[in-house]
Amino acid sequence: MEHGFLDQYSNVGSFMNRLDPRIKVVSLLAFIVCVVSTDTAAFAAFALYGFILAVLTVLSRIPIGYILKRMLVAAPFILMTALFIPFLQGKTVVHAFALGPVTLTVTREGLLIFWNVLAKASLSLLCAILMTATTGFPELLKALEKLSCPQVVIMVLSFMYRYIFLVQDEFMKMQQAKESRSVGGPQWLHVRALAGMAGMLFIRSYERAESVYLAMCSRGFSGRIQTFHHFQVTMKDAAFLLTIFVSLIGVRFLSAIHG
Amino acid sequence: MHIPDGFLSTNTWLASWAISVGGIGYSIKKTAGVLKDRMVPLMGVMSAFVFAAQMINFPVMGGTSGHLLGGVLAAVLLGPYAGALTLACVLIFQCLIFQDGGLTALGANVFNMAIAGTIGGYGIYSLIAEDRANEKRVLAGTAVAAWFSVVMASILCALELAISGTAPLGIVLPAMAGIHALIGIGEAIITVSIITVILKTRPDLIYRPQGTVTVSLSNRDSLSSLRQGLS
Repeated sequence: MEHGFLDQYSNVGSFMNRLDPRIKVVSLLAFIVCVVSTDTAAFAAFALYGFILAVLTVLSRIPIGYILKRMLVAAPFILMTALFIPFLQGKTVVHAFALGPVTLTVTREGLLIFWNVLAKASLSLLCAILMTATTGFPELLKALEKLSCPQVVIMVLSFMYRYIFLVQDEFMKMQQAKESRSVGGPQWLHVRALAGMAGMLFIRSYERAESVYLAMCSRGFSGRIQTFHHFQVTMKDAAFLLTIFVSLIGVRFLSAIHG
Repeated sequence: MHIPDGFLSTNTWLASWAISVGGIGYSIKKTAGVLKDRMVPLMGVMSAFVFAAQMINFPVMGGTSGHLLGGVLAAVLLGPYAGALTLACVLIFQCLIFQDGGLTALGANVFNMAIAGTIGGYGIYSLIAEDRANEKRVLAGTAVAAWFSVVMASILCALELAISGTAPLGIVLPAMAGIHALIGIGEAIITVSIITVILKTRPDLIYRPQGTVTVSLSNRDSLSSLRQGLS
């Protein structure tokens, strides 16, 4: 079975790949917090954020098509807010159209809210895609651990990363078997078969967890996982972090003066 | 229902982060107390299981489809705190790998689905299924709790969007709750079907709070009961 969704571009040898994962995590956090807290009407600031990301996109060497496809995850939410625009109450009416007995008005306030979520969600998403797609998941977890995330959560996540392929393979195998046995009929008639699969999947996963635990105990597991950390902040990392911080503070500060 | 970045105001996302960090911290303490050093492998594999179970899609209406949330499923099988932890790990994973749900909105997403949806759902479940030996009550509790967990999470999501000024409450609340009342039915049907299978094959895996009498494995031949469960 194929699992192309993970670590596809985490090792293509780009500048972004070679950065220290901790630097990437810190930059990502700083970027998103700055973007999210920027005033809605500061259009120039959003353009500058976009410019920073454009530079990073070139440095990451991730295909644009892949990025655009990944950005679709926010589409349902953005569409949902778009639907609310005509219902929002506001002072300045931009456009009004009659829909049978009711008149729907598009106001400046409504459009601003839509622009707000559209710009902020896409900028944050793009930055998150650039930073996480260029980092291998184990490295990302190590970076988070180094940045003092709770160790239990990190350990559970690293286990999850290891077993997700196995569990999903098992599920896909069962699904293949089901599809080759059942023909036609609407999808909802397959609920019982699906439930049987999920139930079996749970039992098998549970038993797997037990044997994994026993195997770990026999290798001296004491409740803590020891890993080597070979991260080292180079001059390049420091320069990158400095550039990001200076440009973020610059943009954020300028937008604050204007607003 | 995974809120992206930019949809919540600063106060809302900071507050929901604070609540979620507290809730998950408490869940870790509770779970570690019961499971000790077997907690990490069990939670890890179970998170992978919930992640895979979320691949089950069901049609809602007009071509849209919902997928399993799995909160009540995890809570009925693993207990409220381990269940919440499992769901939280799935949400963190989805946020980091697929950007499904934003980083600043992660607090709100964890609160809606892992804390309110799972621990809250478990509360409803244990009200109805006080006697875990009664299969009918367990299934009824699971159904009601599964429906409520989805609707509750969607209502919280709508409230957070309204407080942030992203959407007017009078429209976003009925819209979200209405769609998720339908998705909740799918969630209830699938969760109950899965629990039915597990009740028939490995009833010992259904979570029982400590201190209650554990019902021993039914003495039916395990292979025949397995066949029954799958037929």
